[in-house]
Amino acid sequence: MSRLQTLLTILRKELRDALRDRRTLLTVLASSVLMGPLVLLAISALVASLESSAELREVVVADLDRAPTLQNFFERQTYTVKAAPADYEALLRKATLSDAVVVVPKDFEEALVRGDAPIVEIVSDSANQRSQASAGRVAALLAGFSRERATLTLALRGVSPDAVEPVRVEERDLASTQTRATQITGMLPFFVLMAVLTGALNAALDTTAGERERGSLEPLLMNPAEPWILVLGKWGAVASVGMLIAVLACFSFLPGQWLLRSDRLAAMFQYGVREALLFLVVLLPFAAAASALLMAVAIRCKTFKEAQASTTVVMLAASLLPLINVFSLGEESPWYLWVPALAQNVLMTHVLKGEDFSAAQWLVPLFVCAVLSAGGVWFVARTLRSAAAR
Amino acid sequence: MIRIEELAKSFVAPGGGPLSGLTLKGRPPRVVQAVRDVNLHAPDGHITGLLGPNGAGKTTSLRMLAGLIAPDAGRIHVDGIDVRTQPRAALARMGVLSDARGLYPRLTARENIVYYGRLQGMERDAAHARAEALAQMFEMGPLLERRTDGFSQGERMKTALARALVHDPANIVLDEPTNGLDVLATRALRDSLRWLRTPEGGAKCIVFSTHIMQEVERLCDSVVVVAHGRTVAAGTVDELLAQTREQDFEEAFVKLAFVDELALAE
Repeated sequence: MSRLQTLLTILRKELRDALRDRRTLLTVLASSVLMGPLVLLAISALVASLESSAELREVVVADLDRAPTLQNFFERQTYTVKAAPADYEALLRKATLSDAVVVVPKDFEEALVRGDAPIVEIVSDSANQRSQASAGRVAALLAGFSRERATLTLALRGVSPDAVEPVRVEERDLASTQTRATQITGMLPFFVLMAVLTGALNAALDTTAGERERGSLEPLLMNPAEPWILVLGKWGAVASVGMLIAVLACFSFLPGQWLLRSDRLAAMFQYGVREALLFLVVLLPFAAAASALLMAVAIRCKTFKEAQASTTVVMLAASLLPLINVFSLGEESPWYLWVPALAQNVLMTHVLKGEDFSAAQWLVPLFVCAVLSAGGVWFVARTLRSAAAR
Repeated sequence: MIRIEELAKSFVAPGGGPLSGLTLKGRPPRVVQAVRDVNLHAPDGHITGLLGPNGAGKTTSLRMLAGLIAPDAGRIHVDGIDVRTQPRAALARMGVLSDARGLYPRLTARENIVYYGRLQGMERDAAHARAEALAQMFEMGPLLERRTDGFSQGERMKTALARALVHDPANIVLDEPTNGLDVLATRALRDSLRWLRTPEGGAKCIVFSTHIMQEVERLCDSVVVVAHGRTVAAGTVDELLAQTREQDFEEAFVKLAFVDELALAE
């Protein structure tokens, strides 16, 4: 039988073995593949609630009867004015109240007429995120009130309103809708990477440390198959499982998108078949490299449990490295592409931003993954005999 | 036919190592001479017992025979093929039931056996036919389609043996095959091995390692006694009895294998 046939025999056996491990497979599917869409759903619920409070056009005011002028202004801006509950401070702290509260001083009207600039407070809690968002809106609204008063006063004295506003400010945001969306969807690549790793982990441990623990590695090596063929077959099976999880995870966002409750978020998060395929182009080499790396770490361990402890380091590194990209506020450095996990995160973030990555940007991580895979397979093949005899 | 001559192997005991001299806790490397001088000649159609106390070097010798570890010195030939230079050709002519005999619990007995058949280069149909024939021989037909997960010791042993013999090798090497087997299973195994020795069974060359005297007396045509990594005696049971001037084989074995210990005790 040719080497290729031997390799395929091993690959088929390991795949069958891995796919029969139903319980583990289901756990991986449930925890990693469903995770992404669920996170998406949670984000969309949050955004939707923020949007709905903005659309409500409500403003909460304490001691409203002290400021009829202000009430008149709010109502002319088509805002509904609501009286604040008496214990609004406690409610804001507990985050039960999600609107910032406008507090009007006692002699508001008199001070206004005298031109004494009464102090209006906007009370919010910075730990209560929704009240923060509402505070911003209320501040803009009150600024509008001030401007109107000033303009009126000046107009009465025959001064042009331009005198108080010598410069007009207009904001222009260069970010595309998708770029803005990555502020929210930026953690999705991280979830996909972890899904691939946890998918490959079990198969990687089972074909190496598991084989040692069962005492099936020694008899396996007493077959006339060359060790590197054995390892290639095993690696092929582990990588296939990892890639299968990658495919499932990438495409799970497509139906996940339908669940988006916020129209605006749905419009910003443009993730179609094209994006899913680009994700896969990035992830498949990573699945292969991660499989080889996990196997290389696990072959040194005598038991499954020991291997789980050792591979924690790999898992931790893979979950921490992408954070460099998430937290770096500045520009991406070129060396990012040379670091596994980080490089994949960078490229997938590009895809989510609606920007394409160049072939060169893709080839660097591909090269790194190829080196890692070859190194891992070589190491396992070299260690196999001594691992079996120990 | 298996021929082992002047085999030697030493290990560096764990704990020692190249860096141990640099660390505070490190112990100096300890070299364990597992096998010093093992000689064995096992002809075809013959059951050769490899008898020795625990730790005598039986398993290490058989691992070297199977090409799993490289010997420091000595020669191993299987049907004239040098295991050192052509390990895969030698393995194709051997069926080895090693000390570790783990099965794949999520595969059925048949899948376990056929997998090894395919790794040995057999066609799929041939491997399946052979699995069925072996199942008949070891009376494990009903087990064939069951997953090996819940198998008893005896059932595991039968499956592992069938797996080792799937390619119908001319040489059969068994490392303590009766470990953990009950009386009936041991008897069945003995009968199978006796049949494999006959011309109808293929006149196999069978090497059988054990530390149980009765096994050797009942089954083996000749015995090689190993102690402290050395072959200390070889011959038929009667020859060894005559050599030691003993009536009882156990007494003869103790005299042969524990020479140093007996000398110390006196």
